Amino acid sequence: MKLLVVDDEGIVLESCRRVLEFEGYEVSLAKSADEALELIEKEDFLLLLMDLKMPVHDGIYLMRELKNRKKDVPIIVMSGYSTNETIAEADMMGANLFLPKPFTPDELLAAIREISKRRSAR
Amino acid sequence: MQHSTRYRLIFSFLAVSFVAGGVSLFIGGYLLYNAVLMEANNQVRLALNAADDVYETHVKFVKVALSITTLGAGFRSSLSEKRTEDLLDRLDRMAQHAQMDFAGIVAADGANICRIGPKVFQDEKGQHENIIARYVISHKHEIAGTVVLSKAFISRENMELADRTQFYPFKGANQLMPDDDQQLACMAIGAGIPIFENRVNGELIGVLYGGIVLNQSTNIVDQAQKSFFFDDVQQEKTTPMASILFDRIRIATNIVDEKGNRAIGTEVPDEVKEQVVIQGKQWTTTQLYLNDRYISAYEPIEDILGRRVGMLSIAVLESNYSNVQKKFFLFFMLATFLGAMIAIVMGYFISYQIMKPIHRLMKASQEVSTGNLSPDIGPISRDKEIAILQTTFKDMVESMKRRRMESRSQIIQSEKQASVGRLAAGVAHEINNPLTGVLTYTHMLLRRTDFPDDVRADLQVIAESTERVRKIVKGLLDFSRQTKLDPEPTEINRLVEASIKLIENQALLKGVTVQFHQGETLPLITLDRSQIQSVLLNILINALDASKPSDTITVHTTPALSASDTGNRGVEIIISDTGCGIAPDNLNKIFDPFFSTKEVGKGTGLGLSVSLGIVKEHGGAIRVQSEMGKGTTFFVWLPMNMNIGETKNETIGR
Repeated sequence: MKLLVVDDEGIVLESCRRVLEFEGYEVSLAKSADEALELIEKEDFLLLLMDLKMPVHDGIYLMRELKNRKKDVPIIVMSGYSTNETIAEADMMGANLFLPKPFTPDELLAAIREISKRRSAR
Repeated sequence: MQHSTRYRLIFSFLAVSFVAGGVSLFIGGYLLYNAVLMEANNQVRLALNAADDVYETHVKFVKVALSITTLGAGFRSSLSEKRTEDLLDRLDRMAQHAQMDFAGIVAADGANICRIGPKVFQDEKGQHENIIARYVISHKHEIAGTVVLSKAFISRENMELADRTQFYPFKGANQLMPDDDQQLACMAIGAGIPIFENRVNGELIGVLYGGIVLNQSTNIVDQAQKSFFFDDVQQEKTTPMASILFDRIRIATNIVDEKGNRAIGTEVPDEVKEQVVIQGKQWTTTQLYLNDRYISAYEPIEDILGRRVGMLSIAVLESNYSNVQKKFFLFFMLATFLGAMIAIVMGYFISYQIMKPIHRLMKASQEVSTGNLSPDIGPISRDKEIAILQTTFKDMVESMKRRRMESRSQIIQSEKQASVGRLAAGVAHEINNPLTGVLTYTHMLLRRTDFPDDVRADLQVIAESTERVRKIVKGLLDFSRQTKLDPEPTEINRLVEASIKLIENQALLKGVTVQFHQGETLPLITLDRSQIQSVLLNILINALDASKPSDTITVHTTPALSASDTGNRGVEIIISDTGCGIAPDNLNKIFDPFFSTKEVGKGTGLGLSVSLGIVKEHGGAIRVQSEMGKGTTFFVWLPMNMNIGETKNETIGR
């Protein structure tokens, strides 16, 4: 199963792809919320890694859309702006984990492992 | 209100001037009255002495006249030859010159030889009634002085004289009669000269006597009055008046009654007689006579036999002196009145002077109340109290101005902070994305094993440096983060306990003891628990970092009033350590953003500034005391009811 990474920053997308592919994950990349939604419509993803602050449509919009479309997919929200509110908001919109930017490869993988652990526990 | 002050002031001035005037009027009046009275008494006594002189002069005059007559050529031979016509001629001339009322010569046996007067007749008996002659015959030397003469004697001497003389009853006028028999008598001054056979000695051949009846006489008293020092400007009534009294009856006087007649025959009170005639004293008294008060002085008159038979008296109208007093009173009343007028005028101006700065102050305070913080209070008064009032008012306005400036600068400060925060947030966000790249790529490279060691070491440096950047950015974010407070009533002790628990393990590892003394009866404090906890944690971790093994961190909680605000209730959390302390130079920098004494990479220097921001947002305050090498104490004061209205929280864009 594939992982989808959504971020308007190319370097973030590329970093994630490098780490995840290195670990053996299949990775799709989307540069915007709308692009991500298109991809999600086409195929199912094991996990969604998304930025909160993006031009045109932000992460909150994306999460709302996923909820509307009844796409039940684990979400890790990555944000360079980790205030209590943003975390709480993301949490409310259905994010499963909050990963503050910047992160090291280990932190990224730990977050993914945490999610799959929760998944399998369910 | 201003008027009442002014009038009160004037009134007090008036009261003072009246009291001063009144008191001096009474005291001065009293003193002056006594002085005047004393002066009057002295003057009266002086006048009395003068009158006495006049009286004595008359006595001497009579005596001298008689003596000269006896020394006249042929007088003695005429007497021895009993040439009565010649003798009578001599006596007549003498009496005329000396204005004697009676005069005569008796033989050594007392028998009358001759006497002046129209009706001359020989005595049959009672020759002894001639007191003067009798005295001279028995004593054989001359005599002059006052004598009391019976009506019988005068009648015999000169019928005419007896007719025009007013006699008064007197005890012992006739030496031959029993004492208790009252006889009509008069008072006279008289003298008697013994005449001897030859000039040196020899047989007494006769006695020449003569005198002036004092009753109704005007000579002595008028002369006495004239001799007084009073000038003629004075009216008759104001000059002293002299009287000669026979016993207690005025027999010669220039006191006049209401008809303008001499007040002959009037009596003086018993008291005067008692003191003067009986006791023999000089006596001064005030008496009422014909609606006028007189100051009168009396002295006794002794007759040739040494009996006090009458008085010499001087009377002065008291009004002479009380007029002075009246004038004094009038003058003083005028002075007091003038003083009162001056008091009113002065009071008016002085109160104006006093009230002027107060008016200014009132106006200034009105201006302040309408918002003008630079009111004109005029020049500082020279009056101490008013100057204090003015300077206090000035200080008050200044401090109001300062406070307004402070609060303005506070607003500016918080605005600045907000914009800095916004900038920091933006920067942090932008940095975090590329930082993710750097971190990822560095770590990916580090996973590869095909690099030589030196390359790996370089990569390690990159990774660590990036880690530092990450921390700084995180601190920046924390600093800029101005989240909305989520206040709820909280038990401070619980919160502190929870915070201490979080660092207990670290403290244990380092060998630092953490003690907590829970304050009792602490009020519930409304606060954002997580934020205040982060403040406490920050301070606790700082304390822990500053501590060596075996050091102690002590936490107190206690109810406390605000140090700056007036009596605002709250709670103080006191966190003290026995660590290394803070250098005095650094003490006022520790709350500045990015200030840190920790090793590079260990602290962002934002912790305390963020903490201060949080506490301030709660309306509280942080103080710090520190001594190098002894430790540091943080005082975190939180109000019971936080006032959030002041600092508007700004949530910075997501």
